[in-house]
Amino acid sequence: MKLTRRHFAQYSGLSLLGASASGWLAPLAQAAENQTHRKCILLWMSGGPSQMETFDPKPGEENGGPTKAIETSVPGVKISEHLPEVAKVMQHLAPIRSMSTKEGDHTRATYYLHTGYLPQGPIRYPTVGSFLSKELIDKKCDLPSFVSVNPFRAFSPAAYGPGFLGPSWSPLVVNSQMTGGEENPDVSFEVQNLQRTGSVTEKQADARLQLLTSLEHDFLATRPDGPGRSHLESYQQAVRMMKSQAVGAFNLEKEDDALRDAYGRNPFGQGCLLARRLIESGVSFVEVNLSGPDGAGNGPGWDTHQDNFDAVASLCGVLDPAYATLINDLEQRGLLRDTLVVWMGEFGRTPIINENTGRDHWPKSWSTVLAGAGVKTGQAYGSTTKDGMDIKDDPMTVQNLMATVCGALGISHESTNLSNVGRPIPLSDHGSEPVEQLLS
Amino acid sequence: MNRVVLTFVLAAVCGPVVSAQQALRPRAEVVAAINSAFRASWAAEKVTRAAPATDTEFLRRLYLDLAGRIPAVSEVRQFRADDSDDRRERVVEELLDSPASVRHFTTVWRNALLPQAASQPQFRGLIPGFEAWLWKHLSEGSRYNTIVRDIITADLNLTNANALASTTSPDAFFVVRELKPESLAAGTARAFLGVRLDCAQCHDHPFDKWSQKQFWNMAAFYSGFSRPEDTEDDPATMMAVVEDQESRSIKVPSTGETVPAVFLTGIKPDWSESDSRSPRDVLADWIVSDENPYFAKMAVNRMWAAFFGRGIVDPVDDFSEANPPAHPKVLNILADDFVASGYDMQRLVRIIAATEVYQLSSHQSHASQEDPSHFARAALRGLTPEQLFDSLAEAIGFYQPFRADNPFVIDTDSPRARFLELFRNSAESPLDRETTILQALAMMNGQFVGNATDLERSRTLRAVVEFPKMTDEQKLETLFFATLSREPSAAERERFEKYLKTGGATGKKNEALADIFWVLLNTSEFLLNH
Repeated sequence: MKLTRRHFAQYSGLSLLGASASGWLAPLAQAAENQTHRKCILLWMSGGPSQMETFDPKPGEENGGPTKAIETSVPGVKISEHLPEVAKVMQHLAPIRSMSTKEGDHTRATYYLHTGYLPQGPIRYPTVGSFLSKELIDKKCDLPSFVSVNPFRAFSPAAYGPGFLGPSWSPLVVNSQMTGGEENPDVSFEVQNLQRTGSVTEKQADARLQLLTSLEHDFLATRPDGPGRSHLESYQQAVRMMKSQAVGAFNLEKEDDALRDAYGRNPFGQGCLLARRLIESGVSFVEVNLSGPDGAGNGPGWDTHQDNFDAVASLCGVLDPAYATLINDLEQRGLLRDTLVVWMGEFGRTPIINENTGRDHWPKSWSTVLAGAGVKTGQAYGSTTKDGMDIKDDPMTVQNLMATVCGALGISHESTNLSNVGRPIPLSDHGSEPVEQLLS
Repeated sequence: MNRVVLTFVLAAVCGPVVSAQQALRPRAEVVAAINSAFRASWAAEKVTRAAPATDTEFLRRLYLDLAGRIPAVSEVRQFRADDSDDRRERVVEELLDSPASVRHFTTVWRNALLPQAASQPQFRGLIPGFEAWLWKHLSEGSRYNTIVRDIITADLNLTNANALASTTSPDAFFVVRELKPESLAAGTARAFLGVRLDCAQCHDHPFDKWSQKQFWNMAAFYSGFSRPEDTEDDPATMMAVVEDQESRSIKVPSTGETVPAVFLTGIKPDWSESDSRSPRDVLADWIVSDENPYFAKMAVNRMWAAFFGRGIVDPVDDFSEANPPAHPKVLNILADDFVASGYDMQRLVRIIAATEVYQLSSHQSHASQEDPSHFARAALRGLTPEQLFDSLAEAIGFYQPFRADNPFVIDTDSPRARFLELFRNSAESPLDRETTILQALAMMNGQFVGNATDLERSRTLRAVVEFPKMTDEQKLETLFFATLSREPSAAERERFEKYLKTGGATGKKNEALADIFWVLLNTSEFLLNH
């Protein structure tokens, strides 16, 4: 019966009403008191974007194809012609052109780049948004600390989950809705069902929650399993959101029309704007997925085995204004210095153009981009050979990238979490180091 | 028939499988053997098992696992009134005989065989035809080996894409794997043998013994499939796929080497004896062979997982040296009996449902019950979206409309379809089921539950409120039966009756009943299996 008492104690402060960080919110209470006010936005390019048509163009080379390079705001750093607006904010970016990762399967690579670990054995590694939001959480914020916008999870559901950190660190997933019809297409991110139904009064709703709390207390006290904990925690977070003004962050109509246009009136563009609003409201980590030329997230749009050049050009048509506007917007609001913006996909594309004018999977030499927070920007890190087939200098591993991300956020990459197999697991794998040259 | 001699590569892990000639033991004997295997294991591991499940705890679990929904109020009352000694066995028989069980297992097996169909919208149109086909087999009591053989050797009807969804056939198994030899090889090995070959497609498997060559040896059984341009990923082009039934070898893309069809055991099929059999016939014979070291074990493990939320080998489809079974003896007992019975799935269900481990309480009474691999207590399990919606429908008295000409067709705008979409879960196991914030909001504030707890619109609630002769106590009890399938405890009775008496937050008794119904529908006890 000793155990029973312990579990009673664990749930003793259980309440769906006074939902501050006490009592059964033990997992949240255990989170490290954050040393940093930094935040992170991950722009995820599902399918694996072509480095040569984005941040590592090879004009004049056979492998480079028809893609031209353009000057940027940083002398000497040239990027693809498809990213003219991004070129203008290059002083705030640090492209890494020397990613080298050895994993060319969508499922495994999506997991690898999202967790920093290869899928292996029984350990369920948490996704980057989960483990970073656990470090960065602002407990005063009424919104979940991790929000994921339009994720495309089919490649690897596990790559998007909290793994051994448990359900408290699951993302709130929001999917865009198209509004305004064909005449005036627009995007909204309304969180459904935040309002009480029908004639239920607030007093009545509170009474219901009180009764519910008592039943949950009795039932879960002796059934300490994951699904029950997850149920409680999501109800608690849902109630907290229902009672908070902070959900206004999801309403983009409060923004200036010109700014909304600048981001692009598509799910990705507006998703980037939402990311900024959420960061402003205290959310610690926002992931926004781009995986289709319409800006939505229903497929692996960057997986350009066929017709690579046209496909990447149209994806960049969505990416370019959104990404550049996000950087400018964060900068103008003074948020960029504390907000890390990561741009990446699961791998790059083959330098050699295939018979379908496409590029296939290529983990050997490809690009990611960091911006903001503690990143030393205005430089390109690492480089590839002229034909793009090899890394010329400063190869970057997934593990070191994760360590650098931690470094830029002011977190120790050696901090550990206890895994489901009882072994402490560092944020980035043993032996990894932040790359000093990328940190300011 | 060509009998293939197998080497028992997994013998060290799983032990040998008996031959089909072994006589079928009485069921009770098999159940007793399983019970004693668990008792021995608990004694060795110093595990104290949980108390036996109460009648209502058992009944609710059994309905969810066999009928895919919670019992109706009348079914709970009837069971409680039954004091015969064999009441648990009899309800198992009743449920096995019901269309609800055929429907539930159709969903269970469809999810297992076409995992892509639920997660990838472009394949959802294939569900009706495949489910109709499975339904036919399951309602006729088809043996498992027959079903699997029919899938692998299916006479594919791929000429008309639009017909696929309404054609009663197993073709979807091939379509979701895009008729690619490599995807079919990986899918077949995983679904029917619990062997994960997927990684060996590109390189030797890093954590197991499968080599890239073995992978392609397996793919060679499906090598007859080809399409004019073999690079298209678009399923639309599948209509152009042709099958050469003579093809027995395949080219490995990365090496250019051509490799022959060879079983995973390393044995080459004897083509001279195979007469007119196609490579898929030969593969099917090997897969469903009584001597196949994986086939029966994988099937009983999957069935076990459907009743416990986790397999004896877990993940369910990951039989490998790095992932040994938690209770090898139990796995062997079940697999041996399954083979001896001629792959009788209903018998397997009867055996599992009769075991002591299945009939344990979820109430934890000792710390040693915490590790789910001991099966020393019923763990909380997530419901499938289908179980959840169908239970909710039962509780609130919602009758589901369906298309008369094809009940398997999914109306994407029905309340059920919307629920399935929202509650679709990415967790690999029901023990890892997570409730999302959006799901919590839908249960608390969504229109469907809102109507169900509205005095004007809710069928169950109105029946309770308006029933003239029911006392408050009886009304409360009925709401508990309708949702949690049990009567309220003394403490709950006191708490809720007090709320009723004062009319709760609104001062109105009927509103207070609505409040209580809402509360019960939102409990983890209602929304989980336990």
